[in-house]
Amino acid sequence: MKDYISPPQTELRSPDEVMRLTRMGSMFPTRLSFLRTLMRRLSAERVKVTRPVWQMDADGFGHAVYSLTLGGHTYSLVAISTDLPPELRTDRVIATAWDSAYVLYDGVPNAAEIARIVASAPKQEAARYTEKDLVLSRANKSVRLFAHVTESLRAGRQPDTDMIRDIGYLMRTTAVYGNGKFGIADRQVIDTRPGLEGPFAAEMLTVWLIRHFTHELAEHVGGAPLDPALKRYLGIGNSTGLGMAPFLVNHPVLLNNWMLVRETALARVRAVEHLDADQQANLSRLATRAAQHLQEWNVPDPQHQARIVALRADWETLCAGFDWSRPFALEHAMALAQPLAPDAQELVASLIIEPFGDLVDGLADCMGDPFGAFAKPIAGTQALKTWIERDFDWALTPDYDAQDQCGQFWYVSEAKAEPRLGLRFSESGAELESPLDIGRRIKALHHALGKADVAVSECLAQHPEHALAVERVEMAERYPYAEIRDNLIATSCLPIDMLRCKLSFFGAAKFDPKSDRWTRITLCQGAPLATDLQTNADDWWLPVFAA
Amino acid sequence: MSRSANEVMTLAAKAARGAGAPPAQAAHFGRAALCHLSADRPEANLTAALDALPGGPIIAFPRFFAQLAERAVDGRAQGKQATETLIKSYAEAQAFDCKTTVTSGSLTVTMDLTKPAERHTLKRIVLSDAFFCKLENLAAKLLVPESDASRLSGAGAGLTDND
Repeated sequence: MKDYISPPQTELRSPDEVMRLTRMGSMFPTRLSFLRTLMRRLSAERVKVTRPVWQMDADGFGHAVYSLTLGGHTYSLVAISTDLPPELRTDRVIATAWDSAYVLYDGVPNAAEIARIVASAPKQEAARYTEKDLVLSRANKSVRLFAHVTESLRAGRQPDTDMIRDIGYLMRTTAVYGNGKFGIADRQVIDTRPGLEGPFAAEMLTVWLIRHFTHELAEHVGGAPLDPALKRYLGIGNSTGLGMAPFLVNHPVLLNNWMLVRETALARVRAVEHLDADQQANLSRLATRAAQHLQEWNVPDPQHQARIVALRADWETLCAGFDWSRPFALEHAMALAQPLAPDAQELVASLIIEPFGDLVDGLADCMGDPFGAFAKPIAGTQALKTWIERDFDWALTPDYDAQDQCGQFWYVSEAKAEPRLGLRFSESGAELESPLDIGRRIKALHHALGKADVAVSECLAQHPEHALAVERVEMAERYPYAEIRDNLIATSCLPIDMLRCKLSFFGAAKFDPKSDRWTRITLCQGAPLATDLQTNADDWWLPVFAA
Repeated sequence: MSRSANEVMTLAAKAARGAGAPPAQAAHFGRAALCHLSADRPEANLTAALDALPGGPIIAFPRFFAQLAERAVDGRAQGKQATETLIKSYAEAQAFDCKTTVTSGSLTVTMDLTKPAERHTLKRIVLSDAFFCKLENLAAKLLVPESDASRLSGAGAGLTDND
């Protein structure tokens, strides 16, 4: 076995600082985001994308198959494009029809399998799938941009660069399902395959291939090729709602591993004492790119636009203060951001990780959860009480009887079996509340622990309803970043913060919140095209419009 | 119709919650049910466990394993149960290594907190119609009916997106 010495690192930022909704809702993608990791892998293997099937009419309706080989396995995207009436075009999960539907298939589908997928995928949740189907997805057109691009190409010109820059994608996905949903393959089928071991790797591969399809579909309908620079800037949109938020609460080990890896990466680069000339130049270049990215990031929502404007100002101040030539320049950069808003702090964190792939990229291997939680039992109820008082101050502080501290409740809707958030005092259904109220449960457990010291299992014999809280407390020692340290049922809880955290790990940028419960984002913007995988595949952090 | 392992585990856990189990015990049941059905053990054991709520194995077995873990001061502990098919499934569903042996009419469970459980190959499951309906009906007890207000605001989005 090869010896491995961990690089020096500073102390990690504490979970109390990091695991707050405000900070999680300020996160940016990093080079450890899943799309970045996947693209490095595709590039390292010099993956080639082929298109064995293209049966598309002149208006762009029909189906196509794309194939590639990664880690010794061949995967295919089956893409189906259909003519969708405008009144049916909605990003919401309650939709029943979409502009396009997709299956990532394990292998190369034969004619019968293609026919099966073409018949079933447009029905999405209403159909059943097989173990050969790895990921199921769908996407709707950005009607404005798709029409403009195809009309421009038909007229013999390239599309308007301002529109490309302002919208940034031809289609946006509204769901990307993996891990056994509706009968598709369980994650275990692929989670040891080279290239797909990481979290959401198959989903990210699907998204990247969908982006490729949208480019080729527009070129097909427009009858002419798009400028490659424009194509590179055209990512794939995504519309994400509440369905994603409970994932972080229901997968505490994964959340811990993602955050721990990110914080470890940050701690490693903060410990770097001297930067060579190339590193200094690279950081300056990236900081300038980040400034341009912020200028190109504009959203309709006034509150979030104000945040972006404030961040632009903070970033200008920071860039004036960055001194990459001084000792411990990266630690100094973090210190400069400390008095500023979390948006600025997290952007600095993301920036200073970026140039140091040799120090941090290996950490990506630790972002999965192949085993489940290994939490050892706590010896007795008094020790349990001590642990709660030591690690769960955030859970003990709120008065959960106060209306503003329990004003919302999470539930699953009958209509689509999807997570939703209701107002406890004006909507019905709170008696069927989902158990995302971890803080309240831990406080209730603490309250139930008497003065006697008995085995925790004995306590649970009397109070089985506290078992979930006990499990979460037991996890705290081994998984310090497992809990969102905020009250998720408070009236002030904004699910958009949870969405942004998770989406930043996917590699999303250009967050475009449509309310405090759903957001549009852009994925793969600036990512290598299929033809770019041989060169320059990893330099697309916070992409900017280069045309 | 074959179902994915994740579908079966999730549905069983929801069914247990719908039948009245607290969330942690329901999640344990979901994992155990998957191991149970993967090993071609009878659905009837799972039906009986669901019917026994608010008592029965769905409440008792997680506590049994918690007690074992508490006793494993040097990392290992043993406990006995009357022979019962479902306890084997619960043992297989533990994160830590857990072995079961049957001797003279009782079943011995050995837990080792120093070793992770072996990775089981999950297979696709075919549920009988009756058992699937039972699980679906129990799980449906957790669903909140939609209202106009919740449809408009519950997910926070608009209804058409033709931009």
